[in-house]
Amino acid sequence: MTTTSPETSRALKRRPLSPLRLLESYALLILTALVFLFFSVNPTSANTFPTIANLNVILGSQAVVSLIALAALFPLVSGYFDFSLGATAAAAQVMSAGLMANAGAPLWAAVVVPILVGAAVGFVNGLFVTVFHMSPFVTTLGMATLIAGSIQWYTGGQTIIIGIDPAITRFGSSRMAGLPTVVFVVLGVAVIAWYFLTHTPYGRSLYAVGSNASSARLVGIRVERNVWWSFVVAGAIAGLAGVMQLSRLGSATADSGNGLLFPALAAVFLGATAIKPGFFNVVGTIIGAVFVSISVSGLTLSGASGWASPVFNGVALLAAVGLSTYLGRRKKRG
Amino acid sequence: MAVSPPRGTAAAGDTPAAAGGSGAIALELHGVDKHFGGTRALDGASLTVRSGKVHALLGGNGSGKSTTIKILAGVYSADSGSLSIFGQEHPLSSYTSTVAQHAGLRFVHQDLGLFEELSIEENFALDAGYPRLPGGGIHWKALHERVARLLAEYELEVDPRVPIRALRPSDRTMVAIARALQDQEGTDRILVLDEPTATLALHESELLLEKVRRRADRGQTVVIVSHRLQEVLSVADDFTIFRDGRVVGVLTDAQPTEDELVEIMAGGAVSALRPTGSTTHSTGEPMLQIDGLYGGPLRGVDLTVHRGEIVGVAGLVGSGRSSLLKAIFGAVTPTSGTFTLAGEPYAPRHIDQAMEAGVAMVPEDRGRDGVFADLAVAENLAASVLRESWIRGWMSRSRERRTALALIDRFRIKVGGPDALFSSMSGGNQQKAIIARWLQRSPGLLLLDEPTQGVDVMSRSDIYALIRDAARDGCAVLVASSDMSELHALADRIVFLRSGRIGAEVSAVGLESDDLVRMVLKDPTLSITLPDFDTKRARP
Repeated sequence: MTTTSPETSRALKRRPLSPLRLLESYALLILTALVFLFFSVNPTSANTFPTIANLNVILGSQAVVSLIALAALFPLVSGYFDFSLGATAAAAQVMSAGLMANAGAPLWAAVVVPILVGAAVGFVNGLFVTVFHMSPFVTTLGMATLIAGSIQWYTGGQTIIIGIDPAITRFGSSRMAGLPTVVFVVLGVAVIAWYFLTHTPYGRSLYAVGSNASSARLVGIRVERNVWWSFVVAGAIAGLAGVMQLSRLGSATADSGNGLLFPALAAVFLGATAIKPGFFNVVGTIIGAVFVSISVSGLTLSGASGWASPVFNGVALLAAVGLSTYLGRRKKRG
Repeated sequence: MAVSPPRGTAAAGDTPAAAGGSGAIALELHGVDKHFGGTRALDGASLTVRSGKVHALLGGNGSGKSTTIKILAGVYSADSGSLSIFGQEHPLSSYTSTVAQHAGLRFVHQDLGLFEELSIEENFALDAGYPRLPGGGIHWKALHERVARLLAEYELEVDPRVPIRALRPSDRTMVAIARALQDQEGTDRILVLDEPTATLALHESELLLEKVRRRADRGQTVVIVSHRLQEVLSVADDFTIFRDGRVVGVLTDAQPTEDELVEIMAGGAVSALRPTGSTTHSTGEPMLQIDGLYGGPLRGVDLTVHRGEIVGVAGLVGSGRSSLLKAIFGAVTPTSGTFTLAGEPYAPRHIDQAMEAGVAMVPEDRGRDGVFADLAVAENLAASVLRESWIRGWMSRSRERRTALALIDRFRIKVGGPDALFSSMSGGNQQKAIIARWLQRSPGLLLLDEPTQGVDVMSRSDIYALIRDAARDGCAVLVASSDMSELHALADRIVFLRSGRIGAEVSAVGLESDDLVRMVLKDPTLSITLPDFDTKRARP
């Protein structure tokens, strides 16, 4: 081994980020804080926005969006879209409710079975995309439509509200350390996702596939198999998101799940502009989800009409995709 | 026959030999220099093409003939020199592909640029525009008639409505030629064919060249670049021969023999890269044994590589060099044949199994198959050891960076640091990093496909040293390359792939680089095994 020159020993220490890069990495976090401040002092929302009750609503509602965002993260890291995650979550919600209300299933089954079914949907998506080389875009969009239609058929357009085990709704409205318990579920999933994506060969291989699938294959990565798994994991997390949604709302109704999917996608893409700019990452995704929830809640409490929330989600999604694409391109150029 | 002396750059320019012949000069390129960074790709190169003749550009890899074509096409801009086409001066400083088009140059490249699924007539129309009806719709009848007339003129007896993929390979090239010349009026066009036969089987290229010859007999000016000397001899009137960026021979209205051409092409070929005091490290103990390997272009390869030995694989484009390496690496599954690796039967079904068995491969196309351009250098280096770096359920970033730093030091990679983006490095350093990625696994068998493609001269000798060091440590090395001076500099033994099997085998000691050039160029079979007409057609 050669002796390390002073130059290399300096390089061994991670070079401190330049102030501009630092600002870039934390811009979303700062923006989130600014939006929070704005709605706290803004006269039309100052009375209702910064209250404990409202903050709990924000945190609770962002929990489901965050879970779906974390689900979408896995295929996205390897460069694949999954549009069926919102519908999968909606199906899991209805299935969980239906199992308890119509089939008399025990609570554990009503929690576990929808998660497994979510994973099965991901398995089929992954099969189509990796083995049959079908376009992920159209495949998952078709799957989403199929699932939404099946939910319609199963519920007959009715809302399932009677026969749901009160334990699950109690969990959904419970608190731990002053915060909604579901927030801790999200944090748990986020920590596991972070561990898998950054500290296992599997997660690292997904980033490699997302960077250059052909190179990844030639360093011995089983590209198809790993991407397939990313769809399965995404489906399972979306299933969990559906169960959480049921626990928070106490009822399940026929829904396409798109109302959940698009804020989640906005969160993932916003997340790719933060912490590790140009790459999808867990911490950025969570910040993105909080940002979206705070902004939507603030807008609503400021008296904006019902159209404000989808308009905001759309704008946020476009801005996020634009920014993350720009950052990614700049990275490639070096 | 007029052979101008070597270093005949001036002679080539001011011999008006052609003027005495069949008249006008179609194209004259004079005193062209071209540098890429520090390397000189063209040094006072000149080219005089006579009207209505077939002019062949010859030379080995890196001799400057491709650079000359690219300057004519307006892809590269020349540093200096002059160009006139049909008597009109075109300043090279403002010469672009549009100027080339207007001046009457038409290029048909090895990649024909045809739309396989579309009909012949649509391929024509996409290039020249669709004839319109008064209402604005497409005048299919007019298009059909025009294309049918053109096809007849080019001796293509096919319906303009059939898709390109239904054509035999030589006809596809002919369609591309007809398409390139479809706006021809009179004879004011120069057709440039860049390796037109490289992917054609022998009888297909004969068919094609006969047709090209007949076009020339009717007054078409043709410039042709080809590696296959016999073919060129059958079709060309004039020859310009390049070596090391210079024109070393101009033959006008000549009937040279193959040996004469090879002699001029190989000349005093470079052997400077031959490392001094190179000795073989081969122990004579077999590392890899291949028996009867079939699959893709491979038709029964038998080969043994020993520990510490560097074996070069030579052969023309499409001879199966890359396929051989990919089959050993488990990237493609052969149809039959057996491998024995270090005495054990070895049949990798996946690349990770090959890696597990101690095999490593540096792919040919670095940009497409090797790099993660938007990831850091450290992450690129770690990509081949992901599972090995997973210790106690953790992938330590700091250890990854330490490993990267050690590799950067050991392989003398010039880079800002382990966190620098991979794409921030030069081509040579990127290639060194890819080799470092594999050598950190201490492979027993190292496969290298074109290891110095797009690499500057300095990095090239560094890379040769790295490969030799690996062999000294007992690694068996298999290098596929189209660059004979590279195989000469690197390999202990060189095998020639012909028609998917090992056609000849030579020990590199005592041979000169130009002997190897001769062996490849004088490939007696000349047959190239590529997906044939019928197999291509079977595709959905």
